[in-house]
Amino acid sequence: MTTAVQVTGLTRQYVMGGEPLEVLRGVDLSIAYGEIVCVMGPSGSGKSTLLNIVGGLDRPTSGSVVVAGSDLARMDDEQLAVYRRRQVGFVFQSFNLIGTMTARRNVELPLLFSGEPEDQRTARAAAALQAVGLGHRLDHKPTELSGGEQQRVAIARASVNEPAIMLADEPTGNLDTHTGQEILSLITSMNAEGRTFLITTHDRAVAKAVAHRIVTIVDGAIARIEQGGTL
Amino acid sequence: MRFRDLAFLVVSNLRRMKLRLALTSLGVVIGTSAIVLMVSLGIGLQANLTTSLGDLGAATHITVMPGGMETGMPDEGQLTDAALERFETIEHVEAVMPMTYVMSAQGARYKRYESYMNIMGVPMDAFEAFGYELESGRLPRTDSEVLLGAAVPTSFAAGDSATQAGPSGRLKLDLLGKRLDLTLMMWPSEEEMQKDPMAQGTERKQRLTVVGILAPTDMQTDQTAYVTLDAAHAMNGATRRTTAYENVVVKADSTRNVTAIEDEISGQGFFTFSSQSMLKELNTVFLIIQGVLGALGAIAMLVAALGIANTMTMSIYERTREIGIMKAVGASNRQIKRVFLGEAAIIGVLGGIGGLTFSWAGAALANLFVQSLIASQAGSSGGVMPETSAFFQIPVWLALFAIVFASGIGLLAGVLPAVRAANLDPLTALRHE
Repeated sequence: MTTAVQVTGLTRQYVMGGEPLEVLRGVDLSIAYGEIVCVMGPSGSGKSTLLNIVGGLDRPTSGSVVVAGSDLARMDDEQLAVYRRRQVGFVFQSFNLIGTMTARRNVELPLLFSGEPEDQRTARAAAALQAVGLGHRLDHKPTELSGGEQQRVAIARASVNEPAIMLADEPTGNLDTHTGQEILSLITSMNAEGRTFLITTHDRAVAKAVAHRIVTIVDGAIARIEQGGTL
Repeated sequence: MRFRDLAFLVVSNLRRMKLRLALTSLGVVIGTSAIVLMVSLGIGLQANLTTSLGDLGAATHITVMPGGMETGMPDEGQLTDAALERFETIEHVEAVMPMTYVMSAQGARYKRYESYMNIMGVPMDAFEAFGYELESGRLPRTDSEVLLGAAVPTSFAAGDSATQAGPSGRLKLDLLGKRLDLTLMMWPSEEEMQKDPMAQGTERKQRLTVVGILAPTDMQTDQTAYVTLDAAHAMNGATRRTTAYENVVVKADSTRNVTAIEDEISGQGFFTFSSQSMLKELNTVFLIIQGVLGALGAIAMLVAALGIANTMTMSIYERTREIGIMKAVGASNRQIKRVFLGEAAIIGVLGGIGGLTFSWAGAALANLFVQSLIASQAGSSGGVMPETSAFFQIPVWLALFAIVFASGIGLLAGVLPAVRAANLDPLTALRHE
């Protein structure tokens, strides 16, 4: 398996109220294509920061993050935007769909920013929604969808651009156990088709259900890496 | 991002805030209308005044008067025959006509009617060369004949009410072939005044036969009666032919050449006047008036721009999370900026179109009102309806300018909010509730 993500010596420092705050202190992690890696840790451990840096939404203070062969630390804002558009798919705890747009429009959004022609765009968005089991909900707005359905739309949006890595920040955090399970099995089945995932969670059961590897971060450093239940 | 998609995004964003869009655009409507109406009023006033200025004298005519204290000039600024001959040699001069004002004229009487018209002495051959057309009769040949301007027959009034002569239009006498009795007041000369400081003027009567009436031209000519130069000299009591004229009119072959001829003549030490030079000065004045009126509109527009900036800032604040989402899925700063600039520009465009529509309607209404006002006043005084063009005039360039300007203002007002939106940190934006 080749490497999708290579994180080396990653640190991230914030300044909070004049005091420097070390959120990540030297993280090394590599994720292979086709792998599901879960990052666990208490809140404030730095797991979301790791996810955001890999997703190009945040920048490392030092260290390197190489995704699909390119180093994020060397990119300017414009290049990072292109990187997010092409190589990353984000799934958030609170879904983060745009309320005024239909499911299809929401899924089309990454393609719209990359300038894809409309007919191709709508076809790909429809296919992506079909793949998450929402082929019958294309023209529904987020408010007309259940939480589980909204998260499926978000997953469709994250996968529509065929990203190198899909990042999910507590993807089941806002869902009941049953719906959460459905989302997790969707992730597993997408993984079976070759998608790579980096997922944060504080729920050990979630990690056990999907992860190939479980990385536990404590105080900004990796405490341990275990093989997940699925391996 | 394709332009079509950008447009779609912009329009669908604006559809979400219809009321706010309407209110903000209304600000631009008011600003645009203020500018357009103010400037169009300026244009209208100028056009009207320029039209009525034509009444002061034909556009190709230059009135030349003796110069002041200029020394070293030929003729010392006196309008001698030699000076006149020089004028004739200036390029683009078509004709030159000296004029002598009959200062002694006190009034003319026909039966029980009286009039106080101007009387001018002119060489009749030059008069013809100036292209004045006769409505009836012929040009005077002897010193006891007179040619009347088109408005003179209407300037007569009966007996005591004759104190204010003017083209009242109430009475039009058929004067061709009739005799007018002129009253001339002969003022004592300087020599006589030295002998007797209490010397009084003496009244003299002169009878003139009307041999022709001019077709209407400019206001000045219409209200003047013309006699031969010799007759004018005689009426003024001059014992011999004077060597210099008080007034010379020079006719240019086209209005384009008036200024050049005028410059040449005033360069020879004479005072000149033409409706063209008057127009030039008036244009400067109107430029200032338009500037001031436009500035008032600009203030209204500035307020509208602040309104747009405010609306955009508010809506960007409300959509912070959405901006975060768009950034997370790959929108670049530039793309975000374009979306919001587009929204601001559309507010401007809509306001501009609205403002222009409002201005057109407003101008049409105002013109209708002013014209009916003039018509009713003219009607009540029994006069003829004066010819006025529209007071508010919106030429095509002004309409185009209004739209472009309003869009530009929208765009400009959107810059700061859009840049702010573009530079939002995606993580902070995503956390925004």
